Amino acid sequence: MIFQFESLNQFVTMDGHGIYVWTAVIVSVLFLAVLVINPLLRQKDVKVEIAKDQLREKQRQVSNREKT
Amino acid sequence: MNWNWFYRMGSPKWFYYTTSRWLPWLGVMTLCLLVTGLVWGLAFAPEDAKQGNSFRIIYLHVPASLLALAGYFLMAAAGAIGLIWRMKLSFMVMKCAAPLGAVLTFLALFTGAIWGKPTWGSYWVWDARVTSMLILLFLYLGVLALQYAFQSQEVGNKASAILALIGTVNIPIIYKSVDWWFTLHQPSTIKFTEAPSMHPDMFQPLLVMILGFYCFYALALFMSVRVEILHRERKTAWVRDLVSQVAEERVGVNS
Repeated sequence: MIFQFESLNQFVTMDGHGIYVWTAVIVSVLFLAVLVINPLLRQKDVKVEIAKDQLREKQRQVSNREKT
Repeated sequence: MNWNWFYRMGSPKWFYYTTSRWLPWLGVMTLCLLVTGLVWGLAFAPEDAKQGNSFRIIYLHVPASLLALAGYFLMAAAGAIGLIWRMKLSFMVMKCAAPLGAVLTFLALFTGAIWGKPTWGSYWVWDARVTSMLILLFLYLGVLALQYAFQSQEVGNKASAILALIGTVNIPIIYKSVDWWFTLHQPSTIKFTEAPSMHPDMFQPLLVMILGFYCFYALALFMSVRVEILHRERKTAWVRDLVSQVAEERVGVNS
């Protein structure tokens, strides 16, 4: 296996095809990253929401007990 | 025959806890495969004699297209299992597979368009392969839209599943389009029945990328199904226990 380009500069330009190849790479990597990061963020949100619900429920129970 | 494993697999709780153990490994494997494949394909694979360096887009285009098709089969199969056995989990898998597949189909079309410019001289051609992939994108979006079109989740699930099943007609059409019609799109690089029409030096990194995309698909699907499980099972005892455990740990760390 050998590096196919003579210089780093040539690796970037790819004899004129660099703009096409690198656009494809950057856009693909961005979209793939979003597909993994999005559920991570939503997972956190859902957990926080459920925890808040539980807290609210507990407070309601406590205040009900105080009334009686 | 013992069907216990089948029913256990349909349990959201079992799925959630099992994938918790798998996710870290899957994540590491995905990252390693994708980085290796991409560096190998972009820098070390030999240049194509006819297309020059633009052919390197193949290392994203082919895996994305392949997973867009395989993902559609998975989505339709999940829909069918949901319709027949009324499994909650399989409808969740179907719902999460739709946006994932839509993004992969979009990527296949996008990288294809970029590859088309230096190779065919145009970003877009109404060619059989390209057009049938565009229909696949609309099918994915249709399944996704139907999920939100109904007040009741149950009706939405059924409608999505039926559309997904009808849409499977499109998959063999996409696969065979390059043979059935005279098209600009080059014939398949990889075929089920023949050896790949590519030199091994070019083919090996492609194989690594395809494996990487399969792992990525599993990773992304598992992650979003897990969110869906938490959301839909929020009233169940096990989700409440899970969340309160996490909350207590947080409070413990903070204080």
